[in-house]
Amino acid sequence: MTQRHSLRISCFVFLLVTSVQTAIMAQDQCLTCHEAMEDSHAALFKKDIHYAKGLTCADCHGGDASKEEMDAAMNAKAGYIGVPKGDRISATCSKCHSDAAVMVKRYRSALPLDQMELLEKSVHGKLSTSGREHIAQCTSCHGSHGIVTKTNRTSPVHPLNLPATCAKCHSNATFMRTYDPGLPIDQLEKYRTSVHGKRNMSGDPKAAECASCHGSHEVLSAKDVRSSVYPTNLPATCSKCHSNATYMKGYGIASDQHEQYAKSVHGKALLEKKDLGAPACNDCHGNHGAAPPGLESVSKVCGTCHALNAELFSSSPHKKAFDSRKLPECETCHGNHEIVAATDELLGVGEGAVCAWCHKENENIKGFEVARTMRSLADSLITAENEAISLVSEAEQKGMEVGEAKFKLREIRQARLETRTKVHSFDLKQFQEVADLGLAATSTVTAEAGEAIDQYFFRRWGLLVASLIITILAVSLFVYIRRIEKEQAQNR
Amino acid sequence: MKNKLLALYRWIDERVELRDLIEFMGKKYVPVHEHSVWYYFGGVSLFLFIIQVVTGILLLFYYKGSEELAFESIQFIMSKVEFGWLIRSIHSWAANLFILAAIIHMFSVYFTKAYRKPREITWLTGMAMLFLGMGFGFSGYLLPWNELAFFATKVGTDIAGVVPVIGKPIMILLRGGEDVTGATLSRMFGFHVAIFPGLFVVFLGIHLLLVQRQGMSEPIGFENSPANQKTMPFFPNFLLRDLLLWLLVLNVIAVLAVLFPWELGVKADPFAPAPSGIKPEWYFMFMFQSLKYIPAQVLFVDGEVLGILLFGFAGLIWTLVPFWDRKSAAGQQNRLVNYIGLFVVLYMILFTILGWLA
Amino acid sequence: MENIEQTPAKQSKRDFLKYILGGSFLAWIATILYPLVAYLKPPKQAEVEVTSVKVGKLQDIEKESGQIVKFGNKPVILVRAANGELSAFNATCTHLDCTVQFRKDMGVIWCACHNGKYDLTGRNIAGPPPRPLDPLRVIVQGEEVFISKNV
Repeated sequence: MTQRHSLRISCFVFLLVTSVQTAIMAQDQCLTCHEAMEDSHAALFKKDIHYAKGLTCADCHGGDASKEEMDAAMNAKAGYIGVPKGDRISATCSKCHSDAAVMVKRYRSALPLDQMELLEKSVHGKLSTSGREHIAQCTSCHGSHGIVTKTNRTSPVHPLNLPATCAKCHSNATFMRTYDPGLPIDQLEKYRTSVHGKRNMSGDPKAAECASCHGSHEVLSAKDVRSSVYPTNLPATCSKCHSNATYMKGYGIASDQHEQYAKSVHGKALLEKKDLGAPACNDCHGNHGAAPPGLESVSKVCGTCHALNAELFSSSPHKKAFDSRKLPECETCHGNHEIVAATDELLGVGEGAVCAWCHKENENIKGFEVARTMRSLADSLITAENEAISLVSEAEQKGMEVGEAKFKLREIRQARLETRTKVHSFDLKQFQEVADLGLAATSTVTAEAGEAIDQYFFRRWGLLVASLIITILAVSLFVYIRRIEKEQAQNR
Repeated sequence: MKNKLLALYRWIDERVELRDLIEFMGKKYVPVHEHSVWYYFGGVSLFLFIIQVVTGILLLFYYKGSEELAFESIQFIMSKVEFGWLIRSIHSWAANLFILAAIIHMFSVYFTKAYRKPREITWLTGMAMLFLGMGFGFSGYLLPWNELAFFATKVGTDIAGVVPVIGKPIMILLRGGEDVTGATLSRMFGFHVAIFPGLFVVFLGIHLLLVQRQGMSEPIGFENSPANQKTMPFFPNFLLRDLLLWLLVLNVIAVLAVLFPWELGVKADPFAPAPSGIKPEWYFMFMFQSLKYIPAQVLFVDGEVLGILLFGFAGLIWTLVPFWDRKSAAGQQNRLVNYIGLFVVLYMILFTILGWLA
Repeated sequence: MENIEQTPAKQSKRDFLKYILGGSFLAWIATILYPLVAYLKPPKQAEVEVTSVKVGKLQDIEKESGQIVKFGNKPVILVRAANGELSAFNATCTHLDCTVQFRKDMGVIWCACHNGKYDLTGRNIAGPPPRPLDPLRVIVQGEEVFISKNV
């Protein structure tokens, strides 16, 4: 009795196990076979997240995963599509990943559902050189059979791996040439020299990589106004991390740059007036090779736009003085992010003047004198200009023609701009030359406007005199007429 | 001094026989009555015309009549030429005063029926001069080539072009082309300094000759009231009074020119959109404003065409008043003429004001 | 007509009136003639010269040089290229209205304010300027060079 009993039980267990195994193997016969064939894709798939979620080969490739027989399994009638090519690939992924019913209801996934939509609108969604498919498919970046979440260190789209993934195409000169020969291919190289790149290479997933700035699925050309790296949008993009004090904790830099920048001349010009000539973060820091400019190179960087000021500074005594004291050139007086409009207040030795920080009455005396003189010249130029403007305005109000004088006002404005630039030579002679031109112009304008105003009064006096003469003539004529008529009446 | 003048007079008289003319002129008398004051307006109009000719000729020394230079040349006159501002402002002010004086003169003649026989030709030449005066105003307005003038000319010639049949050719003739361009400026300049002055002088000569020949018209019924038959000799009394008035008018113009110098405006830009509020000069305003009130379509006729034809017709009837006012020719009071005249005056004033307020 | 005898008082009154009348009449003539004569005297700037400006003789303008000329109330830059060709532009920079200059060493029209550059056709080729410079016409009549508006 016991033997029969145990035999029955073992038979049952055996059957149970084999049936279960069969049952399991019956779910993905594709995998079973292909694994046996030592197909690399099958091996990879075992590590794939889709496998972990219970998907079969047939869920992407179509066909009947329960069938052992190849003809029955890889059957077109059962939906088998083979290895999808071109847009078919992304369409296959999209079948589930864009479907809320699948992603949310069935798998309770927090993943977004709009990747396909964004990809199609992005620059990667344009047609490839063959004309038959998008430039990039989902698999171009995510891989095909060993797909893992982006937080998985082995994922090609993990922050530490992403630069290399993008570089697969973007550093390939031959490949990029077929799409945009003008686009550079050294982004990765430059990136590796940047602060972001160095941290990325040392294993910091918080450091910015390609997708942090350019986006992932929705990448647009930098020339596209909607792009996150278009100049007017760029400061906000950098701000996403750099203005987040919590995120930036531990890196030892401030997190108020954007706040300061938005108040600056550059920020207002770019963000409010949409002046694309104004610098965004990347114009001074570089974009892929982003790093703050070194102390000695600040004037060179500012000098890419403010050429004259930089040139003058570089040949001035301040260059050596600043560099030897490790002072960051332009930034010392003007600030870096919160650069406000430079007024004459900055110049001189009074309150609020930056020269006074180093040049005092008994310290660095030569510079003290120069600063003081420059400021007084600038002040006298302003006073003279204001006087000229008010005189011209008065003449105009009085209805006098002052077109020429108004034109000369331009010269005065030009002189003031030039003196402000010449300050950076820190050479009194150069400054004085330009200031004198301005003062000469103001005296010409003042004289002309004064003449016009005098003319206004001259006209009125002339009218008075002429009216007086006419009145006397009229009255005497009237008396004369009266007399004639009286005589005529008497003679009648 | 007096002997020298007498000697000169005798020298001319020996050759031209002025004496008869002088005697005739010496007998000229001006009736003195309650409406005498209106007699002065003809002289004032003449004086203002003379001022226009003199200042106009002076302006010709510096004005350049091409599209590129017209505006700048007037700017030049206003700012760089000594007393240029004065000459130009006088010319602009006196132009308006001339037309005003001419209109007042015309209405005073109308209401005193001075147009009746034998003065029909005097009336016709006078009306011709009034129309020429408005032509002077229209053509002269464009010469500074500023924005307002450019568009006013455009609108004005557009309206002329609306007249059926002959309208379009007239418009092209006026504009020197399809649109208002530098060619229009040249044309207007030619009208303003050559054609109109030539015609005007002819009519003026006839008008003055007739006035001297026929003497001043008396109001109807003047001969029948002996108490009123006061007269004064034209020479020297009326003439001296005339001159006195002219002196005062001159002073008024001087005051206007100095205290309210004429504006330069903005240089015309044919490609810029029309500025808001283009208005014609005040003497065209009543017609311009009337056109605005006519509906766009009246029966089968375009509203604007109807308006222009109506004004043309009205002007014609008005000009022909000596020929249809039978009563005045017979020496009778004609109340109808007075009512019509009153209506016209009130209409013109009302619509001018309406035009300004708009 | 009889002449009523004039008393000496009346006679002197008449003379006084005649003097006043004559004198004020002459003064009035002077008030009229003075402005007229002054008007006819040519002003210092002999001609109105705004839509066309004479620059000078062609041979006085060096090759590879530029100069600022006043054109009405605008500054205009006249450039003579290395091959002798002349071109003129509105010298107001299209970025922030500074006055541009010709830089022989750079071979371009340059703006000192923010390093804006324009080529010799006026096109903006570097820096912040968003638009090219407005061109004007250069006319050479015989030896004289004129700049005029581009109509």
